[in-house]
Amino acid sequence: MKYEEALQQLETIVRKMEQGEYDIDELTEQLRTAQKLIKLCRDKLTKTDAEIKKILDKEE
Amino acid sequence: MPATLTLYELNTLVREVIESEMPHEYWVEAELSEARESRGHCYMELIQKDETSNTPIARASAKCWRSSWAIIQPHFERITGQCLHAGMKVRMKVYAQFHEAFGFSWIVTDIDATYTLGDMARRRQEIVAQLKKEGVFDLQRELELPRFCQRIAVISSESAAGYGDFYNQLKASKFNFYSEIFPASMQGEQIESSVIAAMNKIYERIDAFDCVVIIRGGGATSDMSGFDTLALAENVAQFPLPIITGIGHDRDECVLDMVSHLRVKTPTAAAAFLIDHLQQVLDRIEICQERISRAAQARLTTLNSQLSTFSTRIPPLFSLVKTRHEARLDSVQQRLSAASLRNIDKARTAMEQLATLLLPLVPHLLDRQRHRLELLQQRTVSLDPKLLLKRGYSITLHNGKAIHDAKELKAGDEIETRLEQGTIKSVVK
Repeated sequence: MKYEEALQQLETIVRKMEQGEYDIDELTEQLRTAQKLIKLCRDKLTKTDAEIKKILDKEE
Repeated sequence: MPATLTLYELNTLVREVIESEMPHEYWVEAELSEARESRGHCYMELIQKDETSNTPIARASAKCWRSSWAIIQPHFERITGQCLHAGMKVRMKVYAQFHEAFGFSWIVTDIDATYTLGDMARRRQEIVAQLKKEGVFDLQRELELPRFCQRIAVISSESAAGYGDFYNQLKASKFNFYSEIFPASMQGEQIESSVIAAMNKIYERIDAFDCVVIIRGGGATSDMSGFDTLALAENVAQFPLPIITGIGHDRDECVLDMVSHLRVKTPTAAAAFLIDHLQQVLDRIEICQERISRAAQARLTTLNSQLSTFSTRIPPLFSLVKTRHEARLDSVQQRLSAASLRNIDKARTAMEQLATLLLPLVPHLLDRQRHRLELLQQRTVSLDPKLLLKRGYSITLHNGKAIHDAKELKAGDEIETRLEQGTIKSVVK
């Protein structure tokens, strides 16, 4: 999944959650999905950072 | 009858008269209509033309004996750059001689080279004036020698050493010259026509050449007069390719030199000039090359340092991006947990509200049930058969079942009658 896609999905979940659109049964499932998305985004950021450093090191 | 003389006697008479009456030497100016050498002597024909009609008005033979000619000739040619030829104006010292067998002749003892020189100069000036009037005098100098001047058309005499020198020098250079000879007579009266003919041949293939070189080796004679003609000068002046002359003389410029693109002294000098010209072009190219490579290198260095600046700036820039995104993710997470907690709280509150509503209902419900139970119990009590038995009623059972109708029984059936106290067993009759 792409970073922006993940972020958008995350925003949707948060918005719905804040507006109380989920019932209690859905809540856990959505929260779990949101946590997964957050982790995915964080991992992508870290990975990109590392890759940038690696690419620049290689070219020097 | 008058005495008759023999021709010899008569001629002798003439000779004696001339010798006695004209014993001196005279300076005479005249035009040569012919000049030739034979066995070391020089034989000339002198002429004077009418200035307006050009018709000869005087004519005479002249001779220069070997003894004088051997001295006069080198001197004359050194000064004038020309040898005696037809059409030349001369001033010479002569004395009269009449020979019985060979007739009248002027004997030349000296020639005034300066006079001829002056006349030549005057004629050159006339030609120059004419060329200027025609507007062609400077045409050659306005031409530009091509930068890559490598294909040379040479007008020269094939046998002359001059062309050899020229050719060898070009070949010895590091450049790749192409030269082609267009033979022409470089001496005497054929100069004009043969050089013009050669130029016409070059003109037919003009695209094959970059320039024309007219050269002449330093031969024994240095007769330049052939190069001082109007027709030749006009041809050279108007030729579309630059013409370099190297006709080997170091006196006054001849007209050909004046109208040509460039004059050099010798064929070797012409070759040297062409080599140098190309060398200069090469030098220029090399300088340009050097400058281009230096400029390119400088540019590369600048770009490289710009790139390294960029690459050092990228990680901090990205970490900025990263921080911003992480903060966003953090806030998302906070909102998530807050929202989910709030959702759960809300559900709990709703539930608790329900619970508080529910609790007061319970005792009431219980009471009602209890009351119902009591009623039921009362009803149950009032229905208890023992009470009936106590009041004297009894229950008849057959096979453990209460009998409500006598017809259910037949004779012989054993029945059981339950009383308040004890049981009676009997048989139906």
